[in-house]
Amino acid sequence: MKKVEIEFTINGKKTKLFVKSNTLLINVIRNELYLTGDKYGCGIGECGACTVLINGEPVLSCLTLAADVDGKEITTIEGLAEGDKLHPMQKAFLENAAVQCGFCTPGMILTATALLKENPNPTEDEIKDYMRGNICRCTGYIQIVKAIESCAEGGKSEPI
Amino acid sequence: MNQFKYISPKTKEEALKILKEERVNACIVAGSTNILPDIKVKKLSPKILVDINAIEELRGIDKKKDKICISPLTTIAELIHSELILKEGKILIQAAQEFADPLVRNNATIGGNLVTASPAADMAVPLLTLDALIKIESVKDKREVKLQDFFLGPGKTVLQDDEMIVGIEFEQSDINKNGYFIKLGQRKAMAISIASVAINLKVRQNKIIRIRIAAGSVAPMPIRLTVVEEFLENKEISNKLVEEAASKVSEEVNPISDIRASAEYRRYISGILFKRAFNKLT
Repeated sequence: MKKVEIEFTINGKKTKLFVKSNTLLINVIRNELYLTGDKYGCGIGECGACTVLINGEPVLSCLTLAADVDGKEITTIEGLAEGDKLHPMQKAFLENAAVQCGFCTPGMILTATALLKENPNPTEDEIKDYMRGNICRCTGYIQIVKAIESCAEGGKSEPI
Repeated sequence: MNQFKYISPKTKEEALKILKEERVNACIVAGSTNILPDIKVKKLSPKILVDINAIEELRGIDKKKDKICISPLTTIAELIHSELILKEGKILIQAAQEFADPLVRNNATIGGNLVTASPAADMAVPLLTLDALIKIESVKDKREVKLQDFFLGPGKTVLQDDEMIVGIEFEQSDINKNGYFIKLGQRKAMAISIASVAINLKVRQNKIIRIRIAAGSVAPMPIRLTVVEEFLENKEISNKLVEEAASKVSEEVNPISDIRASAEYRRYISGILFKRAFNKLT
């Protein structure tokens, strides 16, 4: 099959690749760029484990063709921290024990950062509504909501 | 996943030309939240995937004279954040907020929701009560179809192989400003409607001047409930009238039993949803 050339920025790094036309973005991110924080869950857009930010918006990398990200800017969970310095949302998840098995955590954290960018001071209901596409099967939702609340304006953590 | 050729046209003309030449071999993809899962389970096996995301002229929301024009590539998230839609057709925003989840909304497009022609399509139901017009083009032709004539059955529309939606329009009017959408799903996130009802209403001195009612998941396609509309028009609003109309709603819908609910339940709940929506508006 003919390959398509794509050029995009991922976690601040310019990347040029040849991909098959039916390659999913998640497979490029995990198998070619070895950024395995991006998780493959349901594969049909129901669970949110594969969430990445494209041009700042949280989207599902299992339902995005790699060919479609040509010219775009992608952030995965690996791109949030600056060296050893964790992103405030990552810290908040740690401090609030919002992680159990960890499989949903990268997607949760990325969606949460997008929420606070859009709405810096969300109510509990607004948090739950925005996070409804990210599913946690360890049922740790209460801690997750707490972590996000603590990161919001007026929360305990430093602002994002 | 099946193999396919991938083309990403930059203009509408280019896309229409590909459709004309390739016909059934070509499959348009925009948000890809329906198409890719369908390809994965082999429900669809296109030879050519025509990704129209790069066609800027098919993006955005505008007002032209007294018409609100939504381009087909507008995402559900873009609708939610549109000041123009909030002012002129806020029922669409309400439905968009119930649509799947925020991650899907960033990709899924309004054109895609219509073309998929699901009986449960959450955007189709409020667009029906906005009396939306669908603008369709092919290389050789341009035409306009009322949304209520657009759907033919589950997954079927009047679109020919060489045609695509290039715009969705509704009028700037009082009735379109006053609408309410209500959806019943098994849970909040990612739930396909068991039943949904939309109403747009114009009332003067407690008298119904004009009403448009639509319902989803209760017929082979999203439908307008014209019998109930005619029954209600020019009548004084009273509790008795609303009760009568609700039972007429239950009669006019034509649901099936499936994994989500029985036909009987859908019939019953349609009337209830109608009452809830109507009471919100009066």
